[in-house]
Amino acid sequence: MKKIYAIGAVAFMFAACRPNANVTTPATSGNANFTNYLAVGCSFTAGYGDNSLTVSGQLNSYPQRLFEQFETIKDGKGAVGPFIQPLVTGDNGYPEPKLVLSTVTHCDGKISMAPVKTTLPLDSNGSWRFVNPVNNNQVNNVSVPKLRVADIPVQGYAGPNAYARRYFYDPTKRPLDEIYARVYNVHPTFFTLWLGITDVLGYAVSGGQGNGSRLAVPVTLNIYNSNDITPDAVFAANYDSVLTALTSTGAFGALLSIPDITALPYFTTRPMNGLHITSKGFADTLMALYPDVNNKIFDTGDNYYIIRDNVGGIRQAVPGELLLITVPQDSITCAGWGSTKPIPREYVLTTDELQNIRNAVTSFNGYIQKEARDRNLPYVDMRQFFETLSTGITYNGINYSTEFVSGGAFSLDAIHLNARGNALVANKIIEAINAFFKSNIPMTDVNKYPGVKFP
Amino acid sequence: MKKQLITASLLLSAATSFGGGYQLNLQGVRQMAMGGTGTAWPWDASTIFYNPGGVARLKGIQMYGSMAFIMPSTAYGNRENSGVTSSNERTASQTFTPFNFYIGGRIAEDSRFGLGLGIYTPFGAGMKWDDNWLGKYIVQSVDLQTVFFQPTVSYRASEWLSVGAGFVFAAGSVDFRQAMPIHGNLGADIDDGQAHLHGNATGVGFNIGAQMKVHDDLQFGLTYRSQVNMDVEGGSAKFTVPTSLKDSFPSTKFDARMPLPGVVSAGVGWRPLEHLTLQLDLNYTGWNSYDSLRFDFAQTTTSLHNVRAPRHYRNTLTTRVGLSYRISSVVSIMGGAAYDPTPVTNGFVSPDLPDADRVVLTCGLTVKPVRGLTIMAAFEGSNGVKRNGSYDFGGFSGVYKSTAAVPAIGLYYNF
Repeated sequence: MKKIYAIGAVAFMFAACRPNANVTTPATSGNANFTNYLAVGCSFTAGYGDNSLTVSGQLNSYPQRLFEQFETIKDGKGAVGPFIQPLVTGDNGYPEPKLVLSTVTHCDGKISMAPVKTTLPLDSNGSWRFVNPVNNNQVNNVSVPKLRVADIPVQGYAGPNAYARRYFYDPTKRPLDEIYARVYNVHPTFFTLWLGITDVLGYAVSGGQGNGSRLAVPVTLNIYNSNDITPDAVFAANYDSVLTALTSTGAFGALLSIPDITALPYFTTRPMNGLHITSKGFADTLMALYPDVNNKIFDTGDNYYIIRDNVGGIRQAVPGELLLITVPQDSITCAGWGSTKPIPREYVLTTDELQNIRNAVTSFNGYIQKEARDRNLPYVDMRQFFETLSTGITYNGINYSTEFVSGGAFSLDAIHLNARGNALVANKIIEAINAFFKSNIPMTDVNKYPGVKFP
Repeated sequence: MKKQLITASLLLSAATSFGGGYQLNLQGVRQMAMGGTGTAWPWDASTIFYNPGGVARLKGIQMYGSMAFIMPSTAYGNRENSGVTSSNERTASQTFTPFNFYIGGRIAEDSRFGLGLGIYTPFGAGMKWDDNWLGKYIVQSVDLQTVFFQPTVSYRASEWLSVGAGFVFAAGSVDFRQAMPIHGNLGADIDDGQAHLHGNATGVGFNIGAQMKVHDDLQFGLTYRSQVNMDVEGGSAKFTVPTSLKDSFPSTKFDARMPLPGVVSAGVGWRPLEHLTLQLDLNYTGWNSYDSLRFDFAQTTTSLHNVRAPRHYRNTLTTRVGLSYRISSVVSIMGGAAYDPTPVTNGFVSPDLPDADRVVLTCGLTVKPVRGLTIMAAFEGSNGVKRNGSYDFGGFSGVYKSTAAVPAIGLYYNF
């Protein structure tokens, strides 16, 4: 029977020797140097989301994720902290209350979930001025919600922009001066630049109520209307000036391109053919209601809405045209918008407006790509990334997409990414950096960060 | 600002389950000690499982009971989790105790007929990861249990050939937990929603075999154990989600089917010396019947859809060798080895059973302390090859390494 004990002992030893699956590939910097990292951008880079700026949004920005991954490099060229962002102090929104999901009752008595402004108190005073005592006011993320490439040379830009005013070195100067000041202060060895989205976005969210021809003229001096698309020449010159500033200390960096804005959930959530007709009688009524509208079709089932187009004419929308997420649901459900009354043009992107947007994105990306080539920097194709996202990215068991709320990547404002979306962007940038600089930077774990919160 | 409806089509991201080499091969202690061989040689009443054709060759009526203690452990590594060096996540320590009970033998001393009943556990799997591990949205824990009841008849057609057949009734249960990427209002430290599926399953099949005694020292066996489809009907599906999503994820029933694959086995046993027996077995397992995993919910919503997770298993050929050496009339010792290739193909390596090719080493002994009674003990060490695998359906990849230690004990008594 002793042999049975012997078998038991062997079994115990075997059980004590547990498997291990360590993967030990050290992170390396390749041909790049990530010691001092500086991020420059607009709301997409600031960690803005849920229609506001919050401290948790900022701490989940993609530059923060990139810094953390750069910090894992221990070959002497990894990031050295601290990575300082101009943090607000509260989580309820600055300067506007952030959006939260809540149940709302609609005009027809139906109850559903929708984003509403939080009723929790704001802390605007505490968030007002950002002063950092570390290293002579160091700021590593120079990002300003609403900042356009068009705004780069605008003297006193920070005056009317609360996001810039609260931390700009000298609010009376140009955003370009701010960038120079931070470059001088941080001495970046590496930077990321994601500007240009807002140069098109203003036109898109206004329903095309601006000059989309890229031939707009300034309102005064060099200030462009926020609903206009930036002219090509202005974009090219200003973007180049930013890059000259960022590379003035010899830094390398990654240039992020502009996604197809019309694929954001802000423009894709509300179906243009959402006019559901149940009775033939109502369809006939609508047919009779618009004698001057050509090529209209109303029948039982899903129909395209009646809209007012960009020249003020009334017509039925055609496939491909988009309805903004902001169109009041109750006006459609109970006040006849889209059926007995046209949907106002500020809620509609028509075929030609969509073409203006897409042409601008293509044109601006051309300039960004040319700069990347000329300056020998990696071009991070964010247009392609958002296209992939719209068809779905499966990551560690979650399907991310551009679907509003359920897609898991966007915040409640339907334009900006949430913490997980920002982490996906960080991984996309890391992929491009690794390919270009032959570095080996590990990806971040996207699912670790918060997603949309439900009531 | 916006007051629009949300059609929250949150998906049960990639509900998946038990798969992989969930075949146990622990149906007899002596056979287990000999690398899992036993198709050719009717050693004891466990031949009801290994080869029903051998029952008519048993001496007298035998009652047999045994139990194994499976102690599996799987490690997972992924650089993405912590940066430079990976996490090294491990499944929780668990011990599974498949058991076997057999009674059978010739109905009379000189009869050509044998009868038997086997109650055994040929398939099972269990895995419990940390609730917050990297793959939590694919699986947190899975547990699959089966018990087969097999009444068997056997007929000795001639001195050299005997055949047998058993009807299989299978009962089992499945339990599956998975985190859902839905957050909010779930409690202080609960970050995610959770899906919990639990159901009982039944199925039927058969086990037939032929045993050929060419010579006292040279025997052959051939068996076919049929596929058994375990059907879950009316299992319970429960979802822990925030209050506002209760209607989107109602507690409901589900149906599912787990195919337990058919196995063709061929074996040879040879006794070159008086005290030494050598065995070789080949098992061809029809895993490719496991094409996809399906969960059909009784009530679906815009958020809760039926689940179709692709599996695409491939058939496998397992090679087993073993020996038994009789030290004295009281004590015998055994040893063996097996190479068990995985049915799980690249791209389908899911963390619910990240199977890999395995090398199995075994040993054991039997003792006959008194007339009629035999006590058996065995140990199996199973070592999976370290596998760098991906599960494309769930967008999940990493390095897996699995080991298992399996001691077993048993005894039988000849009447």
